[in-house]
Amino acid sequence: MSSTDLFEGGFGADVDWEKTKAILIFMAPGLTLFGIFSVGPMVYSAWGSFYVWDAFTVQQFVGLDQWVATFTDDAIINWSNLASFTYPMGALPQNLIWMVIHVPLSTVLGLGLALLFADLRGRRILRSMVFLGFTTPTVVIGLVLLFVYDPQAGVFNEILRTIGLEGQVRNWLQEPQIAIYALIAGGVWVQTGFSMLVYSSALAGIDPSLLESARIDGAGPFRRFKDVIWPLVKPVTAVVVIMSTIWVIRIFAIVYAAGGPSGGPNGVFSVLGLEVYQAAFSIPIEYGKAMVIALVELIITLPMAWYIARMD
Amino acid sequence: MTNISMRSVSKFFDGGDIIANYELDLEVEDGEFLVFLGPSGCGKTTALRMIAGLETPSDGEIYFDDDRVDDMPPADRNVAMVFQNYALYPHMSVRENIEYPLKVRGVPPEERDERVAEIAELLHIEDQLDSDPASISGGQRQRTSLARAIIREPSVFLLDEPLSNLDAKLRLEMRSELKRLQNELDITTVYVTHNQEEAMSMGDRIAVMNEGTIRQVAEPEELYRRPKTAWVAQFIGSPPMNLLEGTNRDGTIRVDDENSVPAARETTSADVSVGFRPEDAAVTTTEPDTDWRLRGTVKTVEPLGEYVLVNVDVGDTTVNAKVDRTDVESGQQVFLSVDPDDVYLYDGDGELVA
Repeated sequence: MSSTDLFEGGFGADVDWEKTKAILIFMAPGLTLFGIFSVGPMVYSAWGSFYVWDAFTVQQFVGLDQWVATFTDDAIINWSNLASFTYPMGALPQNLIWMVIHVPLSTVLGLGLALLFADLRGRRILRSMVFLGFTTPTVVIGLVLLFVYDPQAGVFNEILRTIGLEGQVRNWLQEPQIAIYALIAGGVWVQTGFSMLVYSSALAGIDPSLLESARIDGAGPFRRFKDVIWPLVKPVTAVVVIMSTIWVIRIFAIVYAAGGPSGGPNGVFSVLGLEVYQAAFSIPIEYGKAMVIALVELIITLPMAWYIARMD
Repeated sequence: MTNISMRSVSKFFDGGDIIANYELDLEVEDGEFLVFLGPSGCGKTTALRMIAGLETPSDGEIYFDDDRVDDMPPADRNVAMVFQNYALYPHMSVRENIEYPLKVRGVPPEERDERVAEIAELLHIEDQLDSDPASISGGQRQRTSLARAIIREPSVFLLDEPLSNLDAKLRLEMRSELKRLQNELDITTVYVTHNQEEAMSMGDRIAVMNEGTIRQVAEPEELYRRPKTAWVAQFIGSPPMNLLEGTNRDGTIRVDDENSVPAARETTSADVSVGFRPEDAAVTTTEPDTDWRLRGTVKTVEPLGEYVLVNVDVGDTTVNAKVDRTDVESGQQVFLSVDPDDVYLYDGDGELVA
């Protein structure tokens, strides 16, 4: 191929300018909003994270100093506690622990409930009840958790007393080494509603004759699940897992409502969102640090958003 | 080898509000090809599903030979079923689909490969084995589904409208293919269809169903020649039998003011129906020299190439006659005549008067 061919075929010659103009005009509103509310803040924080701020005014360039300071801050990563796996370990490890427990649990529970409700009488009511957790404002969930785990009036402790586990009664959200798990349970309750709903619709989309055919072919319930149901709901699993991961990384309201701005006693269940809030809006205002933490959240979630965007 | 026996089998849904099947009694002989034929919603598929074990009868018993099976899960009955939409597992290749029943039963891979190759050759889908079900044609999907059904040598072979998703030409081809397979394999087969041509051409016997019950079980020829009830008579044949309601008095049946015909057989019933097949009627413009003639007006003439269909208004009823050729035109006064041997008489309950 000569250079002229390349020029003519590759660029300029065949562009339909009318069409291009139309495309640009139609894309302009969306791109504008995307630019102002997504790209803009991202770029702004990326830039701002390399500067020192006096409240909301930018001062001078400091390079990676803020990043280093953030990653050595005990509120973000408490390296010595992390080594011995004692809470508080800092917002980042705690947030990741939350993710590692929450995501598989809510996914499996959602799928389990969806399977359980699939052929059940009254499945609509049951589904609505489970999904209600997802529709409830997360602040309310946090408050409800406070009540549920209350040492005197709480339902959870009452249940422990009833089944004879009197010795286990405690204020679950004040116990440094277990508080986070008590909160994660609340988060799972919320997210299960979502994953159940997604799985329910995926299950409803499976042709019933496939399962009947498998039954006739001799497959028991487990094999039918393994060979037919699971492969057919697998694409949905990617969505469920990624959505709940993103949800957990951005979690804020539940933690705030249940433990205040510090994230429980000594920050034992503090998460990244809470630290962003603390850095940006409480004295002393550390805007640069807030940007760094927010960027850490973004770095964790971006590949997943990318994966979802590329799915068929 | 298995024979199937259904004894007073009923199936109710929604706590008895919906009666899908009512007291079905049926014997399917070993190696027989039996067809359930009936209009949509007549309960034929439910009956098949009860044989398969996908539904449990509300009442009655089902036997395979001497074993009562109605409480057994489908897997223990050794039945194979072909679904209307083929029900191929979309995430498995054609080969994986076919070998699935063997895999579930723990047959070792080498033996599975051997059997798959054998069955694929029998059904001419050797070249599609590694394809996706979504990327092969309807006919090939049908063959795959058949292959999966027969690979484990079931004792009963069940087919639920297997040809209705195919185009007309392919349907004809698969019809003879299926019949050939069934002859070769000699498996007791129950086949559900609403298409009477399929039923007549493939079935050793046909069970005609309506409103959840079996109306008549007979060989195709007999079903056509001696439909036991007026309903069956009007269901079988294309176009179906002409039935004229009339009143019977002293051996003469009055159809309308102009038309009375002699009763071919004796009955005490006063309200009767006389019937004759369109292909047995002759259309003439002059009055024929027989008692068994009807006077009417030509409504429409439909030349269909192979034959001409003449629709004649007799009283309030439109009667069809299939003739080789005719000169009659719409609006013309004509006579329809039938050989008395070809006339059927049904009593007030719709039963054939023998």
